[in-house]
Amino acid sequence: MRTKRRLLNLDKLTKPKGKVVFIPERCKECGLCIEYCPTQILEYSTEFNEKGYHYPIIKPGKEDECVGCGFCQEVCPDFAIYVELIEPKLQSNDAKE
Amino acid sequence: MRIGVFICHCGRNIAGVVDIKALVDRVSTLENVVYATNEMYLCSDPGQRKIQEVIKEFKLDRVVVAACSPKMHGATFARAIEEAGLNPYLIEIANIREQCSWVHQDLRKIATEKAFKLIKAAVAKVALAKPLEPVYVPLTRKVLIIGGGVAGIQAALDIANGGFEVYLVEKSPTIGGHMAQLDETFPTLDCSACILTPRMVEAARHPNIHLYTYAEVKQVEGVVGSYKVTIEQKPRYVDPEKCTGCGDCAEVCPVIVPNEFDQGLGGRKAIYIPFPQAVPAVYTIDLEHCLNTEKLIVCEQCYKACGPKAINYLMGPKEIEIEVGAIVLATGYDLWPIENLREYGGGEYPDVINGLEFERLLCSSGPTGGVVRRPSDGKIPKRVVFIQCAGSRDPKHGCAYCSKICCMYTAKHALLYKHAVPDGEAYVFFIDVRAAGKRYEEFVQRVMGTDGIKYLRGKVSKVFQRNDKLVVWGVDTLSGVAVEIEADMVVLALPIVPSQGTKELAQMLKAPTDEYGFLSEIHPKLRPVESSMMGIYLAGAVQAPKDIPDSVSQASAAASKVLSLFSNKQLALDPIKAEVDLEKCVGCGECAKVCPFGAITMKKRLDKKKRKYAEVNKALCQGCGCCMAACRKEAIQVEGFTLPQLRAQIYAILDAKPTKVEIKKKEGGNEDKTAIVKPR
Repeated sequence: MRTKRRLLNLDKLTKPKGKVVFIPERCKECGLCIEYCPTQILEYSTEFNEKGYHYPIIKPGKEDECVGCGFCQEVCPDFAIYVELIEPKLQSNDAKE
Repeated sequence: MRIGVFICHCGRNIAGVVDIKALVDRVSTLENVVYATNEMYLCSDPGQRKIQEVIKEFKLDRVVVAACSPKMHGATFARAIEEAGLNPYLIEIANIREQCSWVHQDLRKIATEKAFKLIKAAVAKVALAKPLEPVYVPLTRKVLIIGGGVAGIQAALDIANGGFEVYLVEKSPTIGGHMAQLDETFPTLDCSACILTPRMVEAARHPNIHLYTYAEVKQVEGVVGSYKVTIEQKPRYVDPEKCTGCGDCAEVCPVIVPNEFDQGLGGRKAIYIPFPQAVPAVYTIDLEHCLNTEKLIVCEQCYKACGPKAINYLMGPKEIEIEVGAIVLATGYDLWPIENLREYGGGEYPDVINGLEFERLLCSSGPTGGVVRRPSDGKIPKRVVFIQCAGSRDPKHGCAYCSKICCMYTAKHALLYKHAVPDGEAYVFFIDVRAAGKRYEEFVQRVMGTDGIKYLRGKVSKVFQRNDKLVVWGVDTLSGVAVEIEADMVVLALPIVPSQGTKELAQMLKAPTDEYGFLSEIHPKLRPVESSMMGIYLAGAVQAPKDIPDSVSQASAAASKVLSLFSNKQLALDPIKAEVDLEKCVGCGECAKVCPFGAITMKKRLDKKKRKYAEVNKALCQGCGCCMAACRKEAIQVEGFTLPQLRAQIYAILDAKPTKVEIKKKEGGNEDKTAIVKPR
C-alpha cells in the first residue's frame, strides 16, 4: 500500500457547507442520524431531553464539517433534526469578517 | 502419379549439414517420384520459376519441397505451384532445416538419413493428397477496437475514413489514454493535449465511429469474419444527451477523492469529468465514492444544481450486442506498481514518485497548474533525482526487458523541470542512454549539455529519508566514486507492463501472449501487427513498450490490415477443416464434446430411424484435429491431414507397409522403434 498523500489541489476544491439544527425535545434516541451521517460528525449528548433521551449533538471540533447532504433530516422519523445550507456567498462573507 | 521432389540448400543452412547429392540420388528411387533436383535457394524467384518449369516439362501432378518450415514459406511454394496450374494443396513441405539440419549440426550422416526419411514421408503423404478449394464464409465488414488511447483512436479514424463502421470501446469515462496525461512530448516539446484532443473530438464526431466509453467488452464469441461481441456499459448516472458539461454538479458535490487521471496527486469530486477536455464531455458519478450507495435516501446536491436535469440515480448497466468481422486490440500499458521497489522507498515515501506522476506535476492543466510541488508538503523541490531502469532490464524484478521510452521521457522531464524551476538541480542515474529515433539523440545531447542537469552513469542502491530530505545512495561508475545526494524528490522510471485486464482479454480471444503478458505477434519482423489468432490485430503498447510515433504507426498498420481484410465481401479460409463421412458417422457426439471452438453440432437424419450425425460449421472450424482423434469410427477427418495420409507418413518413416495385416503384425514387437534409434 502507498502512504496516503495530501491532495495538491485541495484549496481549489470547495465542499458545500451545511448547518445542522436540532430540536432536542422531539428526539427519541433512535440513532438513525448518527448512523447515516456520511461525514460522521454526530454523536449522542450526555444530557437528557425532557423525555429522558440522549439527543444528537455535533462532535466537538467538527462544527464546520457538515456538507449539507441532508441524510439526517431524511432519516429522522420525528422531524427532530434538519439542515440549513449555507450559501457559498455567505461563506465568503464570513471569511471576510 | 507423378511426383517431383525439390531439395533446397538454403545456402549452407541445409547443405552444410545434409549431403544433398546423396539425398537427390536416393530420393529419385522412391515410388511415384519422377523427378528430383536440388537448388541453392528455392524460395527465390529463379527457384520458384524452376519448380514451375519442371511441373510443366515433366507433367508433375504432386510436388514435395524439402526446405525450411512450412510456416516460413509454405504459402510461397503453394502459390508457385498454383501459378503452374496445380491445385495449391497438392504440395507437401518436408522441413529439413528447423527439424533436421539446424538441430543435428554435428551429426552429418544421421542428418542426411533423417532428411531422407522426412522426404520419404512427405512423398507418401502427398500421394494421398486431394485437391482442395478455399472455403468461403460471410464477412461482417465492421471492426471492434478495444482501448481508446492514441493507438485505438488512430486505428479507428483510419478504418472509419476507409468507409467501414468502427466500434471503439474504452474502459474509462474518456478516451485519450495515457497520452492525454502527458505534458509535452519528446523530442519536439509540443504539447501533448494540443495534438491529441482534436483527434479525440474527430473520433467522437465521426459518422462511422460508434464510441462506447465507461464500457468493457464482456464476451466475444465466434471467429474471424463473424464475432459476436457483448459490451457492458457501466451507468454514468448522467444522461449524456442532456449533460452540457457545465460542472455545476461537481461544484456542490460534498465528496472529494483522489483523481485517477492526476495519478492521485490531485482531487476530484464523486461526480466528475477526468479532465476539462475529456471526450465525451459528460460528467460521471463514481458510485464507489458517491454518498448515494443505498439509494434509500439520497444526497440531492448535484441533482438540484443540474440545470438541464441530466442526473438520474436510477440508471443501470446496459448491455450492447454487436457483430464484427475483426478486432483490434489497443489496450495499452500500465506502470509497474511503485510499491515493488522497496529499496527506493516506493510507496513508503510520498516524494518518491513515478514518471506519469511527474508528468502531471509538470502539466499546466495538472493539479498544481504546472508548478512542480512535492506531494508531501507542497514545497517546490530544488533538487530532483531521476532513476532510470528502476525495475526494467532487471531479471531479478521479473522485467528483463527494456521499457524503451524511459531514456527519452527522463531527459524530457529533466529539461522541463529546469524550465519550471530554473534554479533547481536535476541528477539522472542511467545504465546507458538509448535514444534510437529521429532527432532523439540530438535531444538527449541537448539535455545533457544543459546547466544544472547532471547525468551519472550507475545504479542507485538505496533511497531513504533523512529529516525532510530523501538521501540517494548510488555510484558514478565513470569516475568510480560512490555518491550520496540529498534530494527533495525522486522520480523513478518504472517498467512498462501490459494494462490491467489485458490477460483476461487475451484469454477470452484465445490470443497468445509472451512471458510478460504482452500480446504476441505472428512474426516479429514480417507480421508485427497481427496476432496468430486470425482476425485479431495489435496496436500500440499492448504488444510491447512503445512511444507515441511507434504506437501511431502500428495503429495505422493494423488499420491497413483490417481494410485489406474488408476489401473482399466474403472471407476465403484455408480448407484445412474437418469433414464428416456420413456413411461412417454413428452420431455418438464425441467430436462435438471435444471441439474447442464449438464448431460441431449434432443433427438428426431425415430417414426413418432419425439417427444423429455430426455437422461441421466450416467458419468456426480451425482444423485442430481434436475431433479426428476422438472419433472411434474414423468418420471425421481434417482435410489435408487425413488419417490415411498420416498413417502413410508414419509407415514411410518406419519402413513398413500400411496394410491392415501389417498393422496387426507390428503391434506386437517394437522392431520398428529400434530401427529409428539404431543409427545413433
